[in-house]
Amino acid sequence: MTFAVAADPGTAVAARVRGLCKVFGATVAVEDVDLDIPDGAVLGMLGPNGSGKTTLIRLLLGLTRPSAGTAELLNHPMPTGAAVVLPHVGALVEGPGFHPFLSGRENLRRVAATEPLLPTRAIPAAVDAALERVGLGNAADRRFRGYSLGMKQRLGLAGALLLPRRLVILDEPTNGLDPAGTRDVRRIIAELHAGGATVVVSSHLLTEVEATCTHVAVLQSGSLIAEGELRRLLDADATGLVVTTPDTDLAVATLRAAGLDAYRDDADEPGVVVPAGDAPGVIALLVRAGVAVHEARRGRPRLEELFARLTETAT
Amino acid sequence: MAVRRTARIAATIGIVGAVGLGLVAVAGGAYAQPQLPPVTPEDLVNSVLTHADPGPFNGTVELDNDLGLPALPQMPQAANGTSTARVWSGGNHLGRVALPTDTGERTLVSDGTTRWAWNSDDRTVVKRPAGAQADRAAPTDPAAAVAQAIAELRATSTVAVDGTATVAGRGAYELVLTPAPTERTLLREVRVAVDAEKRIPLRLTVLATGSSGPAVQVGFTALTFGPQDPALFTFTPPPGATVTDAPAKDPTTQHQDTTTVGDGWDTVKIMRRPAGTTTATAGPNTPDLSAIGTPVSGTWGSGRLITTAVGSAIVTDDGRIAAGAVPAPVLTDALSR
Amino acid sequence: MSALPDTGSLRDAPRTAPLRRLLGAEVRWVLRRPRTLVILGLLALIPVLIAVGVTVAGRRAGPGRGLIGAVAGNGLVLPIVAVTVSLALLLPLAVAMAAADAIAGETACGTLRGLLLAPVSRLRLVGMKAFGVLVVAAAAVLVLAVVGMLAGLLVVGETGWQLVTLSGTTLGIGQALARIALVVVWAVGQLAAVGAVALAVSAWTEHPLVVLAAVLGGLIVFGVLGAIPTLEWLQPYLLTSGWSAAVDALRDPMPLTGMWDATWRALCYLAVGLSATIARMLRRDA
Repeated sequence: MTFAVAADPGTAVAARVRGLCKVFGATVAVEDVDLDIPDGAVLGMLGPNGSGKTTLIRLLLGLTRPSAGTAELLNHPMPTGAAVVLPHVGALVEGPGFHPFLSGRENLRRVAATEPLLPTRAIPAAVDAALERVGLGNAADRRFRGYSLGMKQRLGLAGALLLPRRLVILDEPTNGLDPAGTRDVRRIIAELHAGGATVVVSSHLLTEVEATCTHVAVLQSGSLIAEGELRRLLDADATGLVVTTPDTDLAVATLRAAGLDAYRDDADEPGVVVPAGDAPGVIALLVRAGVAVHEARRGRPRLEELFARLTETAT
Repeated sequence: MAVRRTARIAATIGIVGAVGLGLVAVAGGAYAQPQLPPVTPEDLVNSVLTHADPGPFNGTVELDNDLGLPALPQMPQAANGTSTARVWSGGNHLGRVALPTDTGERTLVSDGTTRWAWNSDDRTVVKRPAGAQADRAAPTDPAAAVAQAIAELRATSTVAVDGTATVAGRGAYELVLTPAPTERTLLREVRVAVDAEKRIPLRLTVLATGSSGPAVQVGFTALTFGPQDPALFTFTPPPGATVTDAPAKDPTTQHQDTTTVGDGWDTVKIMRRPAGTTTATAGPNTPDLSAIGTPVSGTWGSGRLITTAVGSAIVTDDGRIAAGAVPAPVLTDALSR
Repeated sequence: MSALPDTGSLRDAPRTAPLRRLLGAEVRWVLRRPRTLVILGLLALIPVLIAVGVTVAGRRAGPGRGLIGAVAGNGLVLPIVAVTVSLALLLPLAVAMAAADAIAGETACGTLRGLLLAPVSRLRLVGMKAFGVLVVAAAAVLVLAVVGMLAGLLVVGETGWQLVTLSGTTLGIGQALARIALVVVWAVGQLAAVGAVALAVSAWTEHPLVVLAAVLGGLIVFGVLGAIPTLEWLQPYLLTSGWSAAVDALRDPMPLTGMWDATWRALCYLAVGLSATIARMLRRDA
């Protein structure tokens, strides 16, 4: 079951992937993935562990070569266009990588020294600003060795945010963060989005994705099983009208007599589900038939439900 | 594609490096045989015997030793292996020889009036006056020594010119002396590379019967003729050095009673050590021979036999030494006379 | 957030950080690393130990035999002897450690990825890393030479500002310094060859220890091969077989053949090592 909500043709894309495959020995890490990430979107990349999220990100960034297919970043093919594209891309991949014997600030300065778009004179200020932005201002001069998991994660984030980027790719950015840290990440993503940058976030914390993303891509066993704008994806998966009523039998009979598809759903509380029907018409029909309608609402499952269902079905 | 081009360049550099390593390794090894005007063996031998003084030169002499002698502490050059000497000659008895080892050096300087011997191991300088040379018998000029040997062996040898060779970058004729079948010797042949221009020996190769490789090879690996820096032929003992005068040599030790038995390739020299001289008093430069060899005895007495690929020696218990490029029976025959 | 460059301007934007800044960052990183400092400290101890040993021994007996003995009362020999002695093991170890950290170590830390994402082009990355290793090699040899010179003059300076060569001649301070400088440059060249090969191993593995094991194992194997008489033909191919040539700087007149041969050999190893490093780094996943 694949929900493919194609992006409008002509829309600018920050990344485009076609027929992408990556095979490590006998393991297929990424299998025939087609994906467009629209410019300015915040894409949540979802999938259980080992579903190929990180490999897909590494392929996008040109850190590894595809076995087949193509990946384009900011309209340049990867990995050949890396020199042109990567200065405009901030990334945190596979956890933060820093040297334990240097302080957070020194580590970040070393990263900053390699950034093509950062003028040499601007480095100290950029480093300070990035440290403040991720809330590491006070711990900047401590050795990285002594950092907690959350502080390491924040420093990694700071490395991706040293300068304004067109595209920011964050691989599991909330890993190891406390709730306050998670909130910070959400805030930073929102700021990036407001600034016009495209953001790709991979996460297993689905609530984070639902709270911050405009688009979503769901991976399982290396294949893309759902992809598109979050709102439209949720709509497409909507379960129709849910009517809560104690008189479920009467309600089903009434609706079916009127030619509508309806079935009982007593999962939470007794009720009836009408997959296709306009709310005023259904309610009027039921009330006229003497059914006690306690509540009628659109069935919009939370993303977690959708995610669980998608991955379950595909197994 | 840029990556592919860079990879190709990198591969090229790597191949150049690998090939270069091979070239560096074989450099100085195989040269093509130079084209030289033909020469008859007789003319070549005569020209060697009458060659003019080549004048000042400097060079490097390498000794490849495969004699099979055990290592002697006083004479590291005697053991199997390669040793090098750097020589400078300024003419007029001016000369300098450096014998480098891995960790030190012995330097011999002859400044015309004094002969200096420096040993860096113990920082000693031994000086002895030049002139009135007692050791004329052992020619100091290796080229002259080789020429002398050719003259002695000529009568009992087949002499041939076996093509050409490049030695120390110079064109040379390969003169080959093969012992006549009647000679009782351990040697198969002696090859002398003779400089085509100066007619001096550049390399001496001794091949023994029963082995394919040379038993001993000594020759120049580098040789340049021309005026030498006069400073090379002076020596000032450095600060901290111990300077001693060489002990005036007892005439009896100098003029050892030497008899020669036989001639040509199976010549045996019998020397008599003066009575009372033991290895302990023989001086630091005389190798201690008592530790090596195998005991032998016969009608001539008893002693120790030392054999190498190219010769044998018997040190008798009564103080005689018989040596030659011959098998042991020839030595005992000579001692029995 | 400030304005973002539009897609069209991507091609015109800078694609790489200035080379000097990259090299500077690399050198700072290399010299801040504790283990680099530890091994430099160890190297500084070597001339001091030799000086003390020679002084103590010198009071009891006469000058000892061998190369170390040449130091007694002859302080300017100490830097050259210290470099020669350390070239056998400690200097290659220092260089191998630097090379191990340069690529395999960065991979293990997860920082190589960061460099490639900055992006530092893969070729520049090799250049940057090779420079870092070269800096360590030069620092190591310089530490030996400078400390050796100081210790030599202070502790065993009987001949004062003169150097007595192994050939028994005496050199003035100027010539002595020139020879020390020559040995330093020559030794750095030899170590550059070790570093290039170590860097290649470092590029092909993910474990820094593999690099150390490979380099030290290689040195030992070379030493054994060089000691087998029947394998004498192999000698000219072995990097280590020319390493005693530094002693030639203590001879007078100085024979240059040994050092030249060793330098050519080192250049060949350097070319092969760098080429293998580049070949791997162009393709390596990070």
